Parts: sequence; C-alpha cells; structure tokens
Amino acid sequence: MRRGFSRMNLHCFDRTFIRSSHSLNAVQLPAPMETHLWYVNPSEVKSESLLKQYLDILSPCERENVLRLQGEEMRKSALLARALVRTTIAKYQMNSPVEPRSLKFRKNMHGKPEVCWPSIDDWDPPPLHFNLSHTSSLIACGVTINSQIGIDVEEKKRSIKHDILSFARRYFSKYEVELLAAISDPQVQQREFIKLWTLKEAYVKALGKGFSGAPFKTFTIRFQGVMEGDSEAFDESSTKGFEIVVDSLDDPTDVSNTWQFSLLELDGSHYAAICTEKQSALDGKINIPGKLMVWKTIPIIEDEYVSGTDAVKVICGFQ
Amino acid sequence: MASVTASSVKFSPASSLIKQNQVSNLKKASVSFTGNGFQSHRLPVRRFRIACAAKPETVSKVVDIVKKQLALPDDRDVCGESKFSVLGADSLDTVEIVMGLEEEFGICVEEESAQSISTVQEAADLIEELLEKK
Repeated sequence: MRRGFSRMNLHCFDRTFIRSSHSLNAVQLPAPMETHLWYVNPSEVKSESLLKQYLDILSPCERENVLRLQGEEMRKSALLARALVRTTIAKYQMNSPVEPRSLKFRKNMHGKPEVCWPSIDDWDPPPLHFNLSHTSSLIACGVTINSQIGIDVEEKKRSIKHDILSFARRYFSKYEVELLAAISDPQVQQREFIKLWTLKEAYVKALGKGFSGAPFKTFTIRFQGVMEGDSEAFDESSTKGFEIVVDSLDDPTDVSNTWQFSLLELDGSHYAAICTEKQSALDGKINIPGKLMVWKTIPIIEDEYVSGTDAVKVICGFQ
Repeated sequence: MASVTASSVKFSPASSLIKQNQVSNLKKASVSFTGNGFQSHRLPVRRFRIACAAKPETVSKVVDIVKKQLALPDDRDVCGESKFSVLGADSLDTVEIVMGLEEEFGICVEEESAQSISTVQEAADLIEELLEKK
C-alpha cells in the first residue's frame, strides 16, 4: 500500500483545458460528515484498450513513472492508481470543466499530494480532500470535503518477513506490542498486526507530515469500548460497541478528540483503514459520527455502490 | 608515451571535507523553489558530502537484503541507483528493508533518515555514515 506520495511537481497555469461532456457520471460532493471511498480491483480490468485509455489520461510525467516500473502487475496497479484518482476527483465537479486528464496535482508544504485547480471565471473548484492507497490487488481513493483524510489498504493475508513481535517491538508502541503479544493464535495475531499497520498508516497519512512527522512508536491506536471508555480486551469476532482511538505521546492536546477511524474489510480480501478529522474538531459542534459511502469502480466504465453489501464489512468505526 | 589511468578519487571518512555538524545542518535545510511558491520538505535529503560513495561491499549487502525482502529473482539487476519504489517496495516493504539493514549492520535508523532513503545507494551511504558515528 503505497502512500500515494508521488513525486510529481506540476504547475497549474495551464488554461487550455477543454470544456466538454465526458462519460464520467457526476457525483454529489460528500456532505460535511461523509467520507467517500472508491476502490478498484485490478484483476477485474482486463481490456487492453481500456488500459490504453487510462494511460492516455495520465500526465506525461505519470505515464513515464508507470512505464518505468518493472513487471506488468506493478505497472497495471500504478496505472490504475493514477486513473482512479483522476477520474474520481473529476466526478465531483459542477458542470465538469476540468477533464480527468487535465487535472494537475502538487504537494502541499508537508509533501502530501493535493489537487491544483485552475482558476476559471464563475466557477469554484470543489473543496476536496483526497488520499490514495494501493496494493497490487486493490487500489482505493478516499474523498472528503472539509476534513483531512488518510487511507491505507492491505491484503488481509499479507505476511511480513520478520517475526511480528520483533517488528512490533521495533516500530509499534508499548501498548500495541503488549496487545499483539497477548494473542496466542498466530493467524489472528497476523491479522491484528495488519489491521494495526493500516490504521497507523492511515493516521500518518491523514496528518500529512510523512513517516517522520509521527513516528509509529510515538502514538498508540487502540479499540476502546464506547460505553465504558476504558480499553477492553480485544475480541476479534466482534468490535461492535467499540471505537478506534489514537493516543499520542508527543502531542499534549487530546489527539483522540481530533481524529476518527474506520476499519473495513473489502471484498473479503483486504483491510482498509480510513482516518478523518472529527466534525467537532473542525467546527466545535457535538460530534456526529460521519457516514461512509463506498463504491466499487472500473474507472470510466462503471461505478457500483457497495455500502451495505457483502463487499463492505465495517469492522469498526463510522459507517 | 606515458599512459594515464584515471582512478576515482576517494576520500576516506577521516578526511571528509565536510564536518559532522555541517552535515547535520544541511540535513535540516528545507528546500524551496522560487517562482512557483511551492516548498517541499519531503524532497530526499541528499547528504552533501564530497566524501566517497559507500563501499561496494556495503552496496552489495544492501542489494541482497532488498532482493530478499522483495523476493526478486537472483538475476534481476539491482544496483546503487535502483529505487525501492520502482523495484516494487511499498511502505511496509521499505520499513522491513530498513529493519533488515539495522539487523545486518547493527545500526539504528531514525524515521527522519529512513524517510529520505529511496535508492540502494542512499541506503548504503546512510549505513556507512551511521557506522562512522559508532
């Protein structure tokens, strides 16, 4: 699951985009407390001509980056990642003035990618935040309107070369190590490790300051019982009545009041972690947990709303 | 007629032209581009050393660790310039590679440094820098 911190620095002074209708279905912007998630499974994209169309909407720089990769699978997923983010963002415009291929991206001062919208008379760009994550087998793009967002996807069965506890001792917080060490079943331990990894990655990406901005050891992510407010012994089979919270060693302010998490299982094969800012942190009002809307897509071709179906299982968090 | 053989110029660490504290100052420098107003604090931090690139043995060990982590075939060409991301490393792979390097060389790599390495050569250079400090 790449962080999506691609190395493109593009200028947004190109005004020669074409106003035309295109085949993307326009989508309503997320409401203030909503998060939208779009994902694509590369194995479902087989048509060579479709892949060529995707290549065509990339910027020259992106195209070069994709073609430089070694291995067809890698090239395909890198290509789909760029195609997904371009087509997804383009969907949210009113009157569609900017085509997917004309979108420009830049990095903000912390290196996090964001859209660089052209200025057009009588048109306001959609106030989007987005974040991208990909594995070779699934690519996802999360979208919000007024909140920072970080997402991370990983195969449920992803195994690491190191022993899980050695890895955790090196990189995770003490609490997280203890939690993992208490799990005796190696398969359960491996899955919980992957869940923690994706949640921690999503948090760091939401913060947008890179790995060193929030070293993994300096914060703890845990499941907290909503009722009691105390950490509960973790039960893999059901986390209903739990929420995911983050405690930061470095941050004196109560970081758990700012960030909310959702952990999903997609297509039965992948974990997806989503981290966004709480509404209460943004406007001081009482926090209403946000709604999550998930689409499975083949860019340009079709979008399928899958929230509430078997494709999306909410393990914990806002839904 | 005299023949001249070119030889690469190597500086041993002891005669490195740039002192240690200067290196760390340079490391913390932020890079800003005038003209478009974009600042990027996440550009790979180049270690501004005129000192030599890492020893071939170090590079070779890094190559082995990378190949093992990414399950690359032995005949795949991996060299100093190879970028981890282009070889197929995602962030979990990269962290595992760094951990593998720590174990192999007995060093500890801070997150800030780990974030700045994107090629085999950069990893090897960082390893030797850390070994010097020990």
